Amino acid sequence: MTLTVGTGPATSGAAPGPSTSNVSPGPATHAAATHAATTHAATPEIASRDFPTNRGGLCRKGWTSAALLGHPERLTSPLIRNENGELSPASWDTALDLVAARLKATREQHGPDAVGVFGGGGLTNEKAYQLGKFARVALGTSRIDYNGRFCMASAAAAGNRAFGVDRGLPFPMEDLDSAHTILLLGSNVAETMPPFVQHLQGARNSGGLVVVDPRRTATADFTADGAGLHLQPVPATDLPLLLGLAHIVIHEGLADKEYLASRTSGYAGVVRSVAPWWPEHTSRITGVPVTLLRETARLLAAGTRNGGTYILSGRGVEQHVDGTDTATAAINLALLLGLPGSAHSGYGTLTGQGNGQGGREHGQKADQLPGYRKITDPAARAHVARVWGIPEAAIPGPGLPAVELLASLGQPGGVRAFLVHGANPAVSAPDSARVAAGLRALDLLVVCDFFLSETAALADVVLPVLQWAEEDGTVTNLEGRVLRRRAAVSPPSGARSELWIMAELARRLGSPGTFSPDPEQVFTELRAASAGGLADYSGIDYPLLDSGEAAYWPFPAGSTGTPRLFRERFAHPDGRAVLVPVSPASAGSGPGSGLLGHDAGTRDPLFAGATLALATGRLLEHYQTGAQTRRVPELAAARPNARLLIHPATAAARGIADGGPVAVANMRGEVRCTAEFSTAMRLDTVFLPFHFPGLQSANLVTSSATDPVSGMPEFKTSAVTVAPVSAPTPAGGPRHGAD
Amino acid sequence: MAPTDSENSPIVVIGFGPVAARLVDSLLPAVRSGALSLTVIGDEPHPAYNRVLVADLGVGRTTAADIALADRDELEAAGVVLRLGVCVRRVDRARQLVHLSDGSAVQYGRLVFATGARPVVPNLARLNPDPQLPIRLPAGVITLRNLDDAATLHRAVQGRRRVVILGGGILGLEAALAAADEGARVTVVHHGPHTLGRSIDANAGKVLAAALRARGIRVAANSRSTGVLLGQHDGGAPASGAGPDGAAVPNSGTGLDGGTGLDGGAGSGSGTGPDSAILPDGGTGPDGGTGVPASFSALELDDGTTIDGDLLVLSCGVRARTEVAAGAGLATGRGILVDHGLQAHHDPQVFAMGDCAEVRCLDEQCADCRGSTGPSGLIGPGWRQAEWLARVLLAGVLPPGAQPSGAQPSGAQPAGPPAALAPEQPPVIVLKARGVDVAAAGNVAAEPFDEPAEGADPGHTAGTLQAAPPLNVSTWADPEHGQYLKMATRAGVLEGFVSVGMPRAGAELVLLFERGSELPADRSELLRLDAAGMPAAAGGAPDGTVCRCAGVDRQTIAAAVVGGCGTVAEVSAATRAGTGCGGCHGEVRALIEQHFQPAPA
Repeated sequence: MTLTVGTGPATSGAAPGPSTSNVSPGPATHAAATHAATTHAATPEIASRDFPTNRGGLCRKGWTSAALLGHPERLTSPLIRNENGELSPASWDTALDLVAARLKATREQHGPDAVGVFGGGGLTNEKAYQLGKFARVALGTSRIDYNGRFCMASAAAAGNRAFGVDRGLPFPMEDLDSAHTILLLGSNVAETMPPFVQHLQGARNSGGLVVVDPRRTATADFTADGAGLHLQPVPATDLPLLLGLAHIVIHEGLADKEYLASRTSGYAGVVRSVAPWWPEHTSRITGVPVTLLRETARLLAAGTRNGGTYILSGRGVEQHVDGTDTATAAINLALLLGLPGSAHSGYGTLTGQGNGQGGREHGQKADQLPGYRKITDPAARAHVARVWGIPEAAIPGPGLPAVELLASLGQPGGVRAFLVHGANPAVSAPDSARVAAGLRALDLLVVCDFFLSETAALADVVLPVLQWAEEDGTVTNLEGRVLRRRAAVSPPSGARSELWIMAELARRLGSPGTFSPDPEQVFTELRAASAGGLADYSGIDYPLLDSGEAAYWPFPAGSTGTPRLFRERFAHPDGRAVLVPVSPASAGSGPGSGLLGHDAGTRDPLFAGATLALATGRLLEHYQTGAQTRRVPELAAARPNARLLIHPATAAARGIADGGPVAVANMRGEVRCTAEFSTAMRLDTVFLPFHFPGLQSANLVTSSATDPVSGMPEFKTSAVTVAPVSAPTPAGGPRHGAD
Repeated sequence: MAPTDSENSPIVVIGFGPVAARLVDSLLPAVRSGALSLTVIGDEPHPAYNRVLVADLGVGRTTAADIALADRDELEAAGVVLRLGVCVRRVDRARQLVHLSDGSAVQYGRLVFATGARPVVPNLARLNPDPQLPIRLPAGVITLRNLDDAATLHRAVQGRRRVVILGGGILGLEAALAAADEGARVTVVHHGPHTLGRSIDANAGKVLAAALRARGIRVAANSRSTGVLLGQHDGGAPASGAGPDGAAVPNSGTGLDGGTGLDGGAGSGSGTGPDSAILPDGGTGPDGGTGVPASFSALELDDGTTIDGDLLVLSCGVRARTEVAAGAGLATGRGILVDHGLQAHHDPQVFAMGDCAEVRCLDEQCADCRGSTGPSGLIGPGWRQAEWLARVLLAGVLPPGAQPSGAQPSGAQPAGPPAALAPEQPPVIVLKARGVDVAAAGNVAAEPFDEPAEGADPGHTAGTLQAAPPLNVSTWADPEHGQYLKMATRAGVLEGFVSVGMPRAGAELVLLFERGSELPADRSELLRLDAAGMPAAAGGAPDGTVCRCAGVDRQTIAAAVVGGCGTVAEVSAATRAGTGCGGCHGEVRALIEQHFQPAPA
């Protein structure tokens, strides 16, 4: 059988009807459509199909995604840890009865907030919605958050602050094609989202692609030969860089004064806040030459007169303790140039996970209710309580963002029973050794997954669930477009939908409200819950999506959706976008103006002695913690283990050989891996992918310091020492004999 | 010592320049919440602006509105009391009162001097005929430090007039380059063989001189000026703003006029004392009284020659404004003397920061103070001091809920006193100019083949017998293309460097110098940063990979072509090459064409 690729209606004549699906949990642009077959055959094949976002393109992760479906390591039965400490198979009834009983006991003994829930940005909208409801209604806990806190939280917070709403791209991706200038901030799309690269071609042709990345990545290479500029700032100086660009825009008279006057507020404050960031000062902090700063500002301004300018941000600038302020500075720059809401220009953020957009809209977040509503807003609470059929007072208040939630595991007064859905925090969370210790200290850990991930391996109960081509539902891509996912193959017997699991647990817990196992019914309820919210889905239903309609939210009932936001007004009550003045924290103190010794926001002091800055990130061959992609033979063979990218001169000073084993260490822990020489690195920076577990896990050395606004951890900059080790890397196997 | 009774007592800041503005910004949340009372006294009528950009303003590259650092309405709405356009007459420390030129007095609990510096006016004939009297600059002569100066320069630049810059330091050069770029006819007159004499070496000076000449700037090196010539201009003199313009010049009334001005625009060095010091009010100064004021027409040199011009810009360094502090009995040296906590000697209620402050503690053995050369004249250290001092002033004061914007209310504690303020690193200079890249720091006098100096090794610490590692110097010179680089290192760590015409290398060297990081053993790594064509990104796909997205190598594609694929689409279908970003289509096509090319006869 064949699974066709693309997220438009299937073109294969053999299909009984159009069907779309999304490769979970890769980026939504890798969307793949399934040829609707209902038998569980041997590994199906992936085929290409045209769709506006990827134009039929897929990367290796997409091409090989079918290998995950019939994988020999699929979990096909619930597992319960037995008296010998081993996970052993059990029936669904036994497992669910046990989980329900333990949850009840925990709640009775320690209160509802002793139960915690951790979701994922790869879950369908239906599952994400139901999980938020399950936590608040069936468990009565406020303690729910999700792994999107580790990717989209800063951009989301900045978007809400500036525009009053957060949608990754407030315009269809194809709009980028005709752009003259695209500023790509901290995003290596050539590796993380290769099909997207097609949309950069127009800007490259006009010499207007500007890539900001401390590494000369494959994406940065696209700027070569006159296609644009690569700015290679010192790690953790993105915010000063953006303030410096804003300064040039203002002082060279490139700002769109008319737009600023008619569509924004806060201009004067931003002018004052960037006054100290003249180019030479900015250059001293960022290491980016003044000429490049000026050229960048002029390219940005030139684009507005010649086809359009877009500013796009990625995790590279967002995953910092000042990530929200950095994203805000990017938005301020866009507003100064008059981009957002203009016909051929804009600002956007590139969403990572399979349902990175939809996953952040419907209540998995600690502070949020469906429809991107605030859990602290009385009107929002009343509306959702009505839909859920419970009194408003029964909805708990805001919980804890992910890093704090994970830090509370097993602690006095913290979470003692923890449910994990579509996430692998034992590898993905910062300071992961501490998180793993927290997971081990729990009274009860329940993990829903289709493989025995590193987190599942620590669980008391593991529940096998469905993956992408086995389930119905919807996801929302980075353009805010809602896509249908269809079951194309039968799941392994023994695996169950998470909707069913939630329904069964809710019943056993005697929960009020309804918990349907049927995705379409859940979506119908989601529509009602989202109605009137920012992310309003009330006008969308499965038949509409099945008809091939491109449905962008907000899509209130009776409307035709919103492909382009902000054309008339922004989502703040006065219709204006808000420029929020931001400034970098002074060294060694928290963000803001640096007044508080707010430990939560403290970044490692960088470049002391022989320490290097460590940036973490992705490889083309893997996504997330690699729990899935490391199980795909072709991908695992291409990238079997973690390699530390290091400049040869930096390595030479430390006696490190190309391909030699190294220890990457700081006070939090030590990573063992091999060194790979690369002149694409700055001399002061090393790079490590985060897809690997155990001793190779990059998050052993990342800090749990977080952004005070978004709760985003500081993934992108840790201070480390790098040294050669004589022992082989863990993945290298034992060494035999002496040489 | 912890502030106790002074906690909620009023804070008074004397001076409202960029450094004071940073302090005020940092204190603002506490003022807004009512936890602090704050009064700011400035002798200019405007709130703080970025003095570093005054030259840019003077050549018309920016506007006064865009260089503002504070907003009067916003500050007053937050509860800050602003006393602008008045000078401080004296400080009565016994009663903790600041007496102002308008006759009023302000009570302080803690007092912060941020009075900055004022430009040095050289001793030139007809510039200041009576050394006993405060200086009055004739028409057509300015220092470049405030908005009026900028306006005067702007008229000269707009009129494409002849501007003579006296001084070859960084501020003079910046003004010269900006003015020349914008159309003025510029001559730089300086001592010594080359400009930036204190910061760069002779070779760098030559490369820089060529760059200046290429921009049409005349440079009069090794020149000692002796006087100015004044004449009656045939109208259109750009100089009117330089006269004793009562509107712009606060009434000081006494020689002890307001040390109230602007803390210095350090980086610009033009950031100096208020003109009120130089242009005292008519009450005490001799009021020329000649009717039409004579205006600058030429600069006289000691060799008897003259350099004609329409405007003379004095750029001869700055001096801390310490008069008010000294008058109040505070110890002063090159600035108001403060300890490492910015606290004035023997008065825990008084602080000083920025260009008016000299950090020199009372411990004569203090290693950090031994090499003190006074205020740095740079803005960066001043801002760091302001941020740090704000934390000191807020220690124990800030209640929860009054955090700076962005901080989460939950879990906020009143801040404790901050860790000690780190001593400042030796200054780095980066020339602020378009298209002329100069960065330098530290000792750049040494040459590659110098013999190590006997016994006078600065790296040799007292009491140790171990010799310090030698100073090594590497250079790169390409005068034809305007490039010059020198790196002086000890044990791989920079002690000094100069970079001309190499923007990337210069930017990296600044960072390496400030961090004290070791340079790559292969110094040419730094030269390569400015190479025209950068090598392709390494660390990506393995060698031979044509399609990164799908991970397809040349061999696989060649095999597919041999196997019958004759188009890119066919190769894609067979191998998946070109199915991701599509960037390799050209290369795939080339492989196909290569295969089907007729074999050479």
